[in-house]
Amino acid sequence: MENKKKFEVAKLATREVVLAIIVIIFIIFLSIFTNFNTSSGLFSFMLDVAPMIVGAIAMSLVILTGNIDISAGTIIGFVGYTAGSLAEMGYSIIVFAPAAILVGTLLAGLNGIISVKFKVPSIVVTLAMAKVHLGFYATFLPNAGWVENLTDNFTWFGFARIFNIIPYNFVVAVVVSIFFVLFMKYTKFSKKIYAVGGKRQAAIYAGINPDMTVIKTYFLEGFLLGIAGILLFTKSNEIMPSASYGREMVFITAAVVGGISIIGGRGKIIGAVIGTVLVYLMQVAMIYLGYQDYYQYALQGIIILIAVYITVTKFNKFKKKPAKFLKGGQTT
Amino acid sequence: MSKQSNRNSDFIKKVINYQSVLLLVLVGLIVFFGIMNTVFLKPKVIFNVIEIIGETLIMALPMTFIITTGGIDLSVGYILTLSAIVFGATLTSTGNLALAIAACILTGTAAGAFNGLIISRTRIPPLVCTLATMSLYRGIALIIAGDKTYTGFPDAFKLISTYRIGKIVPIQITYLAVFFIVFFILYNRSSLGRNLKAIGFNENAVIYAGVDTKKIKFWIYTACGTMCAMASLVYLGRLSAAKPSMGTDLNLEVITAVVLGGTSTMGGVGSMTGTLIGVLIIGVLRKGFTIMNLSGNIYNFVLGAILIVGLIAFALIEERKKTAKKGQK
Repeated sequence: MENKKKFEVAKLATREVVLAIIVIIFIIFLSIFTNFNTSSGLFSFMLDVAPMIVGAIAMSLVILTGNIDISAGTIIGFVGYTAGSLAEMGYSIIVFAPAAILVGTLLAGLNGIISVKFKVPSIVVTLAMAKVHLGFYATFLPNAGWVENLTDNFTWFGFARIFNIIPYNFVVAVVVSIFFVLFMKYTKFSKKIYAVGGKRQAAIYAGINPDMTVIKTYFLEGFLLGIAGILLFTKSNEIMPSASYGREMVFITAAVVGGISIIGGRGKIIGAVIGTVLVYLMQVAMIYLGYQDYYQYALQGIIILIAVYITVTKFNKFKKKPAKFLKGGQTT
Repeated sequence: MSKQSNRNSDFIKKVINYQSVLLLVLVGLIVFFGIMNTVFLKPKVIFNVIEIIGETLIMALPMTFIITTGGIDLSVGYILTLSAIVFGATLTSTGNLALAIAACILTGTAAGAFNGLIISRTRIPPLVCTLATMSLYRGIALIIAGDKTYTGFPDAFKLISTYRIGKIVPIQITYLAVFFIVFFILYNRSSLGRNLKAIGFNENAVIYAGVDTKKIKFWIYTACGTMCAMASLVYLGRLSAAKPSMGTDLNLEVITAVVLGGTSTMGGVGSMTGTLIGVLIIGVLRKGFTIMNLSGNIYNFVLGAILIVGLIAFALIEERKKTAKKGQK
């Protein structure tokens, strides 16, 4: 019994290790062939990957509850518009960042409420929401939501660096990652997320309110998307909200590559972070090899299928085993 | 006396169901657009609505099957795009129309079968599988076409969408009717239809009843692919240009039509007539928006909003039905 349990732990750990090794190999290759090892290459890597990491963590949380958010990309668009238009009015980051994060939180929370309260699959709700958001930018926002010629009060954060090399937004991403790795390990709420995504009925019997858990997770996701939006848009001096449609696929790819089970209930945040780096490096590699960006769509699809297949079959194997453990009188 | 009123309320219950309300909405929309612009009530425009819903209806029929089983196919729009691109590429390189049509239908069927294979043989949920293949098919279509737009289809081909019976009734009406009747009978009068609904309710029970659900799942997704390819031919006959961006908005349109028609996304409950009315509502909206000179963005916004409102309305109705049943007990 003890042996089996250890074996399981080893098996779960290997996934992150394997991913990390792949990432390292990739980095070595890229540093040989591109300007990756130079300071500017490293800087742009950290700058680009930071919002992706935060977004992937946000998506991972929702996926862990057994849901999904297709409107994550367009929510980030709204976040960007809010931040940009406030910055245009002359407000500093102390004002526009919280406001933008609030917008993201509310929009994602709305998805959660509709999906849970009316018992509609989240993928359909958020798919429709994505279109509503896109239509909203184009029809109701002035200039279709474009914000241009933003000044220093908006962009300084995106380009500020510590020790002249590490961008602020990468620091934020690292802090968020560490926080959520610990959060998912030690807080009660994280256990609820895993329970609701894993075995809903069991969670109910354990006294967890699955509806509230899912709604709270959506709000949390929105909060993180808000942060991701700020990290993403402060890098440039213009914002085009509709351009962020499609980013959700990157987040989903990163999460599933990192071992977050798409059925919910299984996976680690650290895996999602490493998965993000891997997906980003793959994009860089493809651009370096001269493939146009539309090869990425095809590759993204294949990667999701393979990653999901692996996690689902792994999940399947585990699912058959616990019955034996339970017979042995174990309480978990 | 009381019997009479009872019978009356029974009758009212039978008539006032979700679909009849939907039909009322459809009529209301036509009247609304007719008041806004009288051009809308001309038979020419009404026939034009039938013309523009062709591909949506063709894809919505198999989609009703899929959603009834509790699945979904998010890749339909891009299966259509991919088949259209293959059609265009084959036609421009060989000039052989029959070969191009065959290639188109084969592509769609293969794409659908790929979905079906994954969904029926692995435990990957349909949502995720088709989300991934959506990206995949889009990528393949873009890789084949690049920035090109395929045009210059022969006139004989265009007739499948532009021919008018007696110079007024669009040809679409004939094959749309045939498709609808076939799917209607399959859905309501065959064991397949019963099995589909049963799978949506409780798949395990159906498996224990000795039905090969894997086979059924595989074939409905494959059929969906084939129908998407046919839809692409109908679409191309009308549009006469194949480009990689053509099917982008069709995913949402098809799903909206089916869900609006009263097919539950949780599976088990559905209606073919509802799907037809849903598609007609979407066609009327699209035509109405064009006539009122509103942009496609507003249309998308309204479409998304309708889908959400439809989902909520349907959920509320179901809830009320359940509480009513409980009350009776």
